[in-house]
Amino acid sequence: MRAYVLRRLWQSALTLAGVSVLVFVILRVLPGDPAKMLLPDGAPQSAVDELNRQLGLHEPLHVQYALFLRSVFRGDFGQSFQYRAPALQVVTERLAATVQLALAALLITVSVGVSLGIVAAVRRGTRYDYASTILAVLGQSLPNFWLGIMLILLFGVALRWLPTSGFESWRHLILPAVTLAAFPMALVARLTRSSMLEILGRDFIRTGRAKGLAERAVILRHALRNAAVPLLTVLGLQIGTLLGGAVITESVFAWPGMGKLVVDAIFFRDFPVVQTVLILSATIFVVINLLVDLLYTVIDPRIRYS
Amino acid sequence: MRESSAASRSVGRRQFLTLSAAGLAAAGLPLAPARAQGKRSGELVAGLSERMLTLDPANHYSISSTSVHRHMFDPLVDVTNDSKFVPALAESWRAVNNTTWRFTLRKGVTFHDGTPFNADSVLYTLRRVKDNTKLIKSFVYQDIESVEKDGDFAVVVTSKRPFGSLPAHLTMLGMLPPSAAKNEDAFFQKPIGTGPFRFVSWTHGDHIVLSANPSYWKPAQPRVEKLTFRFIPELSTRSAALRAGEIHVIDRVTPDLVETLKGSRGVKVYDVPAVEAQRWVFQLAKEPVKDQRLRQAISLAIDRNVIIKELLLGYGRPVDSPVPPGLIGHTSLPAKAYDPEKARQILKQAGYKDVSIDFVLMKDFYPKQLEITQAVAAMLGEVGIKVNIKNLEIATAREQRSAGTYDMFYSGWAHMPHDPDWYFGQWFTKAGAEKLTRYDNPRVEKLIAEGRVPDPKVRQAKYEELERILWDEEPEIWLCYTVAIYGTSDRLRNFEPRRDYYVLLSDVAIA
Repeated sequence: MRAYVLRRLWQSALTLAGVSVLVFVILRVLPGDPAKMLLPDGAPQSAVDELNRQLGLHEPLHVQYALFLRSVFRGDFGQSFQYRAPALQVVTERLAATVQLALAALLITVSVGVSLGIVAAVRRGTRYDYASTILAVLGQSLPNFWLGIMLILLFGVALRWLPTSGFESWRHLILPAVTLAAFPMALVARLTRSSMLEILGRDFIRTGRAKGLAERAVILRHALRNAAVPLLTVLGLQIGTLLGGAVITESVFAWPGMGKLVVDAIFFRDFPVVQTVLILSATIFVVINLLVDLLYTVIDPRIRYS
Repeated sequence: MRESSAASRSVGRRQFLTLSAAGLAAAGLPLAPARAQGKRSGELVAGLSERMLTLDPANHYSISSTSVHRHMFDPLVDVTNDSKFVPALAESWRAVNNTTWRFTLRKGVTFHDGTPFNADSVLYTLRRVKDNTKLIKSFVYQDIESVEKDGDFAVVVTSKRPFGSLPAHLTMLGMLPPSAAKNEDAFFQKPIGTGPFRFVSWTHGDHIVLSANPSYWKPAQPRVEKLTFRFIPELSTRSAALRAGEIHVIDRVTPDLVETLKGSRGVKVYDVPAVEAQRWVFQLAKEPVKDQRLRQAISLAIDRNVIIKELLLGYGRPVDSPVPPGLIGHTSLPAKAYDPEKARQILKQAGYKDVSIDFVLMKDFYPKQLEITQAVAAMLGEVGIKVNIKNLEIATAREQRSAGTYDMFYSGWAHMPHDPDWYFGQWFTKAGAEKLTRYDNPRVEKLIAEGRVPDPKVRQAKYEELERILWDEEPEIWLCYTVAIYGTSDRLRNFEPRRDYYVLLSDVAIA
C-alpha cells in the first residue's frame, strides 16, 4: 500500500511537470500579444513593445520558463498582467468563491441525487420513480445559463425571495449552487438508481431481508454501500469539474470564481494567471483522483493495492 | 408597491445605523455638517459591466474602473457632459505658450487622511505616470518634458511638442498624495484621494464599498452616505438585479433590452448620444481596398439608416463627421449617401469584378456586431462585393490587424478624454497607424501636428480641414455615433446619463 502511494505520488509529480510545460508553451505559441490586450485598443506600437519588455516577454522562451520554474519553487507564480498583483493571490481569492460554490453544489448533488436515486430504485415503476426520472432528465438537459436566468427571474425578480446575484451571504449561494448542481445531481440520481436496482436483486439482499433485518438497514447499510463504488468514481470526477470552475454559472450569477477568471485571463493573455489556475487545478485533480482510489479500499475492503 | 416591499423587507445593520443617523439629524443633534442639513442620506448601489482590476488610477483605461475611481480621486480638470472642461483640483489653467501649461491649484482641499492637497501631489502624480512606463496610462504622457511647481499652489508642465489635449487627458487622472510613493503596493490596497467618497473595502471581482467624505470640498456633495459598485458583467443579470430593486443604476444597456426595462415597475431608462463612433477601418496598404474608388463604392452600398433602425432599434445617430458632435473640431459634413446604383457604376468603371474582402471582427466585442456585419455582407453582395466574415477571438483579431492581413476591421472609438487628438494621432499619422491601417497622408499628418497647439480656434480650423480630407478619402466607414443607454431606479434624483459611459453619482440622491 505504501509503495503504491509513493508510486502514485511520483506519477503525480511527473503529470504536474508535464502540465506546466504544456501550459507555458501553448500560451506563448497562441497568437496574441499581452501588452496589446492590456493597453487600450490602438495604443502606439512603441508603448506595446515597452510594456512587453516590462512584463519580461522579450526574453527567449527557455529563459522565461527557467525563470518561471525558479520562482514557482519559491512559491511565486509571478505578477498577474491584468491585476498587477501576485497571480497566486489573485487565484486563491477566487478559489475561495469557487470552493464555496462547489461544496454547496456537491452537497445538493449528493443529498438530493442519492435520495432521488434510492427512492426511484426502491419504488421502481411507481410515480416516485417517474417523478425522479423526469427530474433527472430535466437536470441533464436544461442548459445552465437558461436554468440560471429562469431561477433569477422567478426567485429574484418576481418573488424577491433570494438575491439575483453577487457574492455576499449564504442566501446569495442558493441559486448558483442549485444551477450548478442540476447536472451532476441528475447524473448521480440516475446512477444511484441503476446501481441500486442491480444490487437490490442480489442474493445477499434477499438473505438480509430473510433474516429479518429492517428494510432501512437493508437499503442503507447493505445495498447503498455496495452501490457506492461506481458512485464514488463519478463523484470524484464531478468534484474536479466543479472545482475547475463553472464558467457559465459564474457568469450568470456574477459569482467571482475561478472559472470566469481563467477564461478572461486566456482572452487577455494574462499568462501568470492562466498558468497558476491550470497548475492549481491539475494539482487538485491529481490529489482528488488519488484520494478516490484510496477511498475505494475503505468502502470496499475487497479492493487492495500493491 | 414592489419597490417599497423590497426596501422594507430587511433592514440591515448598516441601514439601521444610517436610519438612526438620519433620525439624530432630524432631531437636530450635531452630526457632520452636511448631514445636519439633512442633505446626505441613504445608500446607492450601482451595477457596472466590467470588473475593476486595480485601484491605481494611472494603471488602466477601463471605463468601469474610471467610474469607481472618480468617486475616490479628483482629477485636476473635470469635463461636463457637453464636453466643457471645468475646474476640479485646478482652479484655472492657461497655456503660457504652445508647449507650456500652467495650472493654478485649489486651496483648502485635503486628502482623506487630512493631509493637504498641493503642488507636491501634482508633481508626484504626473511624474509617476510619465516615468513609470509599466503603468498603462504612461504612453499618453510621454510628451511631457518637465513638471515643476511654482509655489505651493501652481504647477507648470512643459512638453516636448505642443500638447493641447493635456487638460483633456488630465480629466482621467486622479491626483494622489505624495506619501503613496513610500510603498505604492500597500497604498493601492487601501488608497486615499481627495474625492467625494472614501475607500472602505473591495471584494475582488464582486463589489467595492465607499463611504461619504464629510469634508469634501464641493458643497453639498456627496448626497448619500454609502456608495457600492457591484461588478456584474452579464447584462441579463445586471438588469435582473435592477428590476429586483437590489441596485439603483446599470450601465451598458443594449437596445433590445430597453422595452423590458421600460416595462418594469420602478425602473427608468435613459439614453444619450455617446462620444463614440462605430467605425470600420480599411487596411490601406493592401489590394484591393487601398483603392479609394473601391472604398467609396463600399460606403455607397451600405444603408446606414437601415442598420440604425432595424438592428440598433434606433439607438444610433447618423454620422456627419469622423468626430462626434460636441468635441472640439467637429464640423457638420454632408451625410453619407446610400446609393447602390452609383456604387455599381464606380466598380464597373474601375474594372472591379468578383471582388472579395475579409471583414475581421473581435468576437463579442461590440453589441450586435455580428448581425450588423451580416447585414453589411448582404448589402455589399448586392453590388457584387463578396464579404468573408472572420469572427475571431480578440487577441487573434488584433494580431491579424497588426500583421495587416485583413481588408476591413470592425472597430469603434470612444473619445474618452473628450478630445479627438488621440484618435487622429493614433489612426491618421504614419507612426500611429503603422501596425493598424498603414494610413499615410503627409497633408493630414501636418494638420494633426498643427492641431496639437493649445489654441482652440487653431485646433478647430485644422481639424475641420483634416476631417474634410478624411470624409472624401474614406479610410474608414463611419457607421453611426453610438447611443449610451442606462437603466436606473425611479428613486434616483439628479442622475445624469453620461456621454462617456461613466457612472458618476456624487451629486445623485435617492428618494
